[in-house]
Amino acid sequence: MKASLNWLREIVDFQEDANALAALLTMAGVEVEGIHPTGASFDKVVAAQILSSEQHPNADRLSVCKVDDGSGAPLQIVCGAKNYKVGDKVLLAQAGAVLPGDFKIKVGKLRGVESEGMMCGADELGLAKESEGLLLLDPATVPGTPISRLFPSDTVLDLEVTPNRPDLLSHEGMAREVAALTGRAWKPASVFQTETATENSLSVGARECPLYTVRQFTGVKVGPSPDWMKQRLETIGLRSINNVVDTTNWVLMESGQPLHAFDADKLQGPLRVRFAAEGESLVALDGKTYKLCSKDLVIADDSGPVAIAGVMGGLSTAVTESTERVSLESAVFEPGCIRRTSRSLGLSSDSSYRFERGVDRAGVLRASQRAAELLGQVAGATAGGLQTGVGGDGVDIGALLMGLTPVRHVPLRAERITALLGASVPDARVDQILSALGLSRSEDGWDVPSRRADLTREVDLIEEIARVVGIAHFPASNRGRFVGSSAADQRYDRLMVLRQAAVAQGLFEGRSLTLVSESMAEGPFVQTPVRRVKNPLNEDQVVLRPALVPGLLQAAGRNARAGVKGIRLFEVGRVFSAEGAEERTHLGVVLAGPAWTPSWRSASVQEVDLFDLKGVLSAVLGGRVEFQTQPASGILGLAVEVHLNGERVGVAGVLRPSEARTLDVPGNLMAAEITLDGLLSGKPEQAVYTELPRFPAVTRDMALIAPCGLAHGRVVEVLESAKEELLQSVALFDVFTDATGERVPVGSKSLGYSLTYRASDRTLTADEVNAAHGRLKQRVTAELGVLARE
Amino acid sequence: MESQIQSLQTKALEAIASCIDESQLEAQRVGLLGKGGELTGFSDRMRELSKEEKPRIGKVLNEVRAAVTAALETRKAALTAEREAKIFEGVDVTLPGVSFPAGAIHPITQLLDRTVRIFRRMGFALADGPDIETEWHCFDALNTPADHPARNEADTFYLPDGRLLRTHTSTIQIRTLEKMAPPVRIIAPGAAYRRDEVDATHLAQFNQMEGLYVDEDVTLGDLRGTLEFFFRELFGNDAEFRFRPHFFPFTEPSFEVDIKASALGGGRWLEIAGCGMVDPAVFEAVNARRGDHALDPERHTGFAFGFGLDRLAMIMSGVPDIRHFTDSDQRFLSQF
Repeated sequence: MKASLNWLREIVDFQEDANALAALLTMAGVEVEGIHPTGASFDKVVAAQILSSEQHPNADRLSVCKVDDGSGAPLQIVCGAKNYKVGDKVLLAQAGAVLPGDFKIKVGKLRGVESEGMMCGADELGLAKESEGLLLLDPATVPGTPISRLFPSDTVLDLEVTPNRPDLLSHEGMAREVAALTGRAWKPASVFQTETATENSLSVGARECPLYTVRQFTGVKVGPSPDWMKQRLETIGLRSINNVVDTTNWVLMESGQPLHAFDADKLQGPLRVRFAAEGESLVALDGKTYKLCSKDLVIADDSGPVAIAGVMGGLSTAVTESTERVSLESAVFEPGCIRRTSRSLGLSSDSSYRFERGVDRAGVLRASQRAAELLGQVAGATAGGLQTGVGGDGVDIGALLMGLTPVRHVPLRAERITALLGASVPDARVDQILSALGLSRSEDGWDVPSRRADLTREVDLIEEIARVVGIAHFPASNRGRFVGSSAADQRYDRLMVLRQAAVAQGLFEGRSLTLVSESMAEGPFVQTPVRRVKNPLNEDQVVLRPALVPGLLQAAGRNARAGVKGIRLFEVGRVFSAEGAEERTHLGVVLAGPAWTPSWRSASVQEVDLFDLKGVLSAVLGGRVEFQTQPASGILGLAVEVHLNGERVGVAGVLRPSEARTLDVPGNLMAAEITLDGLLSGKPEQAVYTELPRFPAVTRDMALIAPCGLAHGRVVEVLESAKEELLQSVALFDVFTDATGERVPVGSKSLGYSLTYRASDRTLTADEVNAAHGRLKQRVTAELGVLARE
Repeated sequence: MESQIQSLQTKALEAIASCIDESQLEAQRVGLLGKGGELTGFSDRMRELSKEEKPRIGKVLNEVRAAVTAALETRKAALTAEREAKIFEGVDVTLPGVSFPAGAIHPITQLLDRTVRIFRRMGFALADGPDIETEWHCFDALNTPADHPARNEADTFYLPDGRLLRTHTSTIQIRTLEKMAPPVRIIAPGAAYRRDEVDATHLAQFNQMEGLYVDEDVTLGDLRGTLEFFFRELFGNDAEFRFRPHFFPFTEPSFEVDIKASALGGGRWLEIAGCGMVDPAVFEAVNARRGDHALDPERHTGFAFGFGLDRLAMIMSGVPDIRHFTDSDQRFLSQF
């Protein structure tokens, strides 16, 4: 809400500056988003009328004007602007004026012609940041009128009121709050007078309109508003329309009660409140046609809807220059109903903004009276009869006409104040705070006026006390009971260890968005049906990601295009599935490019391949990591299943070169998608000591000539299946083929193994080792049909 | 024999002194002291000497052997030093260092972990909950009115089945209170989603840290003390605080916490966190779901708080565009 400091000061005795007000409101819960000085106050700047304009004799772009500044003697002004015509009223800075930027106006010659001042643009007077040409004034402006009367200075505060405080969405409401916070005096702009009305003569066909009133006016003379009304409304950002519409806006901004004026002569039959019929529509004041549905509350006459209740009036019944009789609506509509309509029509207004948050029914009649007072003053209108109608049974219209407003009783116990806030607040201070806010003491508690719909419980009153007293009153304390760690703690720690292991392998952690495009929800790394959001913002964010790799592959492409050489990315995060466990934690890894950065010491680099990825996965996952061959398909040229401690946990593979190229990644592009749920749900592993060897190990090499199709894994399997007691480990140290067939026959490969033998209780003799090694060699050659090279 | 020994010494010392590298010196050593070496030869010939001569010649021989051995060692040390000096001669120590490849943990994870470590020292345990939530957990249980704008499809992502992507991590307060009885003292990091257009400071998804402490005798003073302690640990002791009254449906009273600290650029108040005392309506909603009265608004009180990690990381590290955090660009990630 935009608030005028001058307006507030007319209601509450607050003479400090805008910054002091902003500080006060900020610490009371009203955010001040901006403070803008408006208007202009310069000596020797007055309205003037241009009497003549002639071409400057020495300058093509300048004119020489004669202007009337109200002094009687026309002044000669040299001017460079072009946007005026003779007869226009403009602002003239006379000799002696000082404009923003310490720009002093003097009598002087411009290209040899005397100029006795300067005609000004809005920017030169600080009235606008940018403007072109002269600021043209209302033709009715009297020459000689000082600028401070034309643009009175004020300060506008941009206030952000929280949704629980609709009572602050007006100058009276804000002033009342300032009075409560400072203890200063305040005086509402008008006082309620007891009313008589033709009760319930209006048909209200919806509980969503608890109270509807219409006051008739005759003899209305529609025309421009007086300057004081116009200027103030313009100061807070409202466009002046005419004296009737401006009056409704004035009362809205003063009291917070939205009003609507109908041209009574354009209405057919009595007004009524009802829901729209499907298919009904209305051309609103903004000139647009709105299609209404049965959830939209409307004000209608015999011909159909004439206003969208609480949101905007209709164009056909609007007040115009020719209007003579006015029907003035002052009513209350339920917040939810107005919000739905405003949302569904994409139409909001100062009225709907307030109705959505809640308007106090106790203020309806006073606002109508205030409008009557102002319409009499500014439009010569005579107020006639008042009609009322109520929807539902919550409103005692008789009491409202008497000015009796409902109150709500809320209990308050001193000990609960202390229990919640941590320090006591003296009773007298509590009384003072709540009284100042307009509450009155009653038995065991307080009576709350209806405008404070947010105060319904004891805790709400305690909140008011805390808010006004300020948190400084409640000393900070450092207390808290011990609590045990949780499963979430364990998962968090396990994931941090995993991240650190990945970083130790040279990987960078990415954190990508959960919502991805359809194209990122398919391929060999996606193992489950996907979930989608119903109302995506755009097509890039439709699917809840089922896997991390698709996003990482895109990232690999972006990195490659950015010139990053060694691409080493991982991500740990949530993925989603429409089947089974809905939310899972995955690890994704992508690798590409050189395995290390070439340096001055060695320019040679090796490109990463599947075996780097296998090594990274083994290091990162810990535990027993195994890989099983899996048929490759789709974008993958090579694929392996990843098993952790005997359980299948994911897929790793190498993209086909053409697929990598479509991502702009040259060479090998590896990726792995691993589910971590098993790892995270298991107990943290307790490392257990293995006795350090006390006797030396003996190694023997075994060189095999094997068909190219024989897997290393098969060799290890056969060696291990022998259960040779002394064999401690098998390491592959060499693999080669020879296309010439000289060293190894074509179609075969040479595998070099280093076998380590050891016994825990003795130093092995050469004979025992040779015997064991011989048995293994025999077994391998016999079982696999390979040749052992000596 | 004595004169022979003496002259051998002279000759040997000269030869040792003239050795120009360690291999020559080793040859000298073998020629003198090795099996069949010249000095060794004299030792062998000691047997030929008379009883009277033996001690005298033996003494001379020992002295010569000691002198030769010492000379060998001295020369060897000198030659070794000379050779090793050559190894390092002319090495340009200004050549760039070469490192093993290192990765990095994401800056948001790093900040998250810092906050977790601080809260754990303060006695908080971790909690979590799903990203896909029911409307009840996200809004109803948190005392948000049925027609509240936040529930609108324009602001919140919904699934076809009526569930939604949580708009705040406060859902984890409810998830935790459903399962546990006081004392509940938890922090809960997680993703939250709002249907916002993406720009340099907004993503439709952001990282939040949620906190909740419910017990008997938890007060606003405890909330203040907890947050002030935490943020001083994070930003340093020069942090200043402003608890501005605010409104959240699920806390009463509610505050926004503004902080001024040199770690945040100093100078101006920055809105960092929202917090408040848990609204009794939240306790009642959870009780109704639990079917018991584990949370007694007359006996139990609690505080809750939440703050975003992304903007903090942006401010603390001077990152101008939030999208850097989700781009997985190694040129960015390697800076942290």
